[in-house]
Amino acid sequence: MKKWLLVIVMLLVGCNDTSEGSEDDISDMNFDDIETSAQNTEVNLFMWGGDDGINTYIDEWVAPRLEENHDINLTRTPMDTGDILQKLRTERQAGKQEGTIDIIWVNGENFKNAKENELLYGSFRDKLPNFRDYYDKEEFTHDFGTETEGMEAPWGKVQFALQYDAAKVKNPPETYEELTDWVEANPGEFTYPTPSDFTGNAFLRQMLLATAEDAEALTEQSFDRKRAENYSDAMWNDLNEWKPHLFREGEYYPSSLSELDRLYSEGKVSMTMGYNEARSEHLINDGVFPDTTETFVMDSGSLGNAHFLSIPFNSTNVPGALTTINYLLSPEAQLQKMRPSSWGDNTAIAIERLPEDMQMQFEELDRGETVPSAERLREAFRPELDTDYLEWMTKTWEDEVVRTP
Amino acid sequence: MKIYVFWTIFALFVFFPISLLVLQSFTSPGSLTDVSALGWEELFGRRRLLEATGVSIVIGFFVVVCNLAIGLSAGKALALYDFFGKTVVDTLFVMPLLLPLLAITFGLHIAMIRIGLADTAAGVVFIHLVPTIPYSIRIFRNGYVSLGKRMQEQGEVLGASVWRTFLDIELPLLRSSIQSVIFLTFVISLSQYVITAIIGGGSVVTLAMVYFPFLSSANTSLVAAFSLWFALLPLLFYIGAEGLLRLFPYQRKVRR
Repeated sequence: MKKWLLVIVMLLVGCNDTSEGSEDDISDMNFDDIETSAQNTEVNLFMWGGDDGINTYIDEWVAPRLEENHDINLTRTPMDTGDILQKLRTERQAGKQEGTIDIIWVNGENFKNAKENELLYGSFRDKLPNFRDYYDKEEFTHDFGTETEGMEAPWGKVQFALQYDAAKVKNPPETYEELTDWVEANPGEFTYPTPSDFTGNAFLRQMLLATAEDAEALTEQSFDRKRAENYSDAMWNDLNEWKPHLFREGEYYPSSLSELDRLYSEGKVSMTMGYNEARSEHLINDGVFPDTTETFVMDSGSLGNAHFLSIPFNSTNVPGALTTINYLLSPEAQLQKMRPSSWGDNTAIAIERLPEDMQMQFEELDRGETVPSAERLREAFRPELDTDYLEWMTKTWEDEVVRTP
Repeated sequence: MKIYVFWTIFALFVFFPISLLVLQSFTSPGSLTDVSALGWEELFGRRRLLEATGVSIVIGFFVVVCNLAIGLSAGKALALYDFFGKTVVDTLFVMPLLLPLLAITFGLHIAMIRIGLADTAAGVVFIHLVPTIPYSIRIFRNGYVSLGKRMQEQGEVLGASVWRTFLDIELPLLRSSIQSVIFLTFVISLSQYVITAIIGGGSVVTLAMVYFPFLSSANTSLVAAFSLWFALLPLLFYIGAEGLLRLFPYQRKVRR
């Protein structure tokens, strides 16, 4: 019986063919050669799989086109990003050089993790012709304060935006000073979620960048308590000034974004917010938000984060991964991704770098009435802070705002 | 009277929810009256559905076979023989249920990479044994306890070999334990998501890998169709296994 089992186990092991990894060094190859050597290969894309729009975009739109244009067989495997990194960490530990993943979808803390644990292939982004031609290199030097160093290529982005009810608010405040005036002039009409909430924290980080004397010192360097404390005085002052004029005199803050959204949908406050410039579209459609809801980004800056594609250290098909990522970054793939009927995700492309007809197509694309224009979003864009600011913000807010009478 | 109570409870808690699920799968999302087969169409439109279903069945089959082999032998030893350190062994067999499965998986993953089992179907079968074997051993142990030693002694006295005793006496009398183990281990194996993802590394895509990420989807018709498909598998497998059990000796004479 046992022998028989062993035979089966051996058979099953045998069935799994370990495909030959191409060990070619890509740094000396030009991109045409890379694309040629990627022909007739399989590329494994591992990504979070909980959104039908995203999955359909990859399976039904991207995969067939990659097959047709580059002879690449793209396989998407649904897996949580945390699990993917765990798998890579273990493989790194066990010294497994021939992995099963060629492309992963990461940003922020996960990227930082992957980079620190040396789970990534290395710098590849500047090899990609589409990145060099159509993207703004300066825009993607940092990912939540971690230097990208070309180890990930931007795939798309979201931005922080506020929503207001146009029936009640005529001219939404464009800066934090105007917001201060507005809050004072409209007592009880505004509040924000506590910074222990993801959105509340982002709102305060955005405010920190807008009110600090030297915002670049904050975004371009890793977290430093002293620097954070020095630059945040103006923000804490404003927040304390708002307090008596907030919803319920600032004695209560919504503990989550859904609580704030509920207050907004019941008409108790006139504004809400969120880390996705297109979010009000479906909330209006579902009848949660009033039809008169508008979305805006502030002149003083809108926090944005990009999400990226990267290659694990033990990918066995780097040329295939590069060709695929280059295609995902192409204007036509980005345009399709942006359609509300597909995924609806904002493009990471610098639109003015595109050929004119392509620019037109991007400009004519209707993302939905409430979504701010691409130009507007780009003007207001501010990069994210180091992930360590999240925790600092939560703790300091308690001391500076809640405990201050 | 009792039978009415049973049927009321059955209708309320089993039949009613399932019929809602069936209804939703044949109507458009969020509505129960607007007939549409889109949920099912989209389900079978998924590129990897049938492939993943096949993989799940094959893996489940091997998990069940291993469970029967290990469960029967370990259960028999624990029930009928006395040996040094029996209580310790008994406790050790339950340990996998008490330790967090993820911790075991992470530890085993490294070992599996070293011996080349990671990212293979065999590795997935192996890791699925961790949450199933303890149950099988328990079930068979109880089976053998109620069977008793005397039945086998009788066979021995009549001159049957160990194999013959196993085939003609133990298997037919342990039938209900075998049924429980087949059904239980298949269902457990089918629904493992995280450990399959880690050990299978995405190269082994089972139905759970495709299904679980969809649970949060807003398309309720698709989710309903998917859930029914998911529930159908153990049922089909059970029917198939039941057919095989008919091949046991003396089946028609066993009173059930």
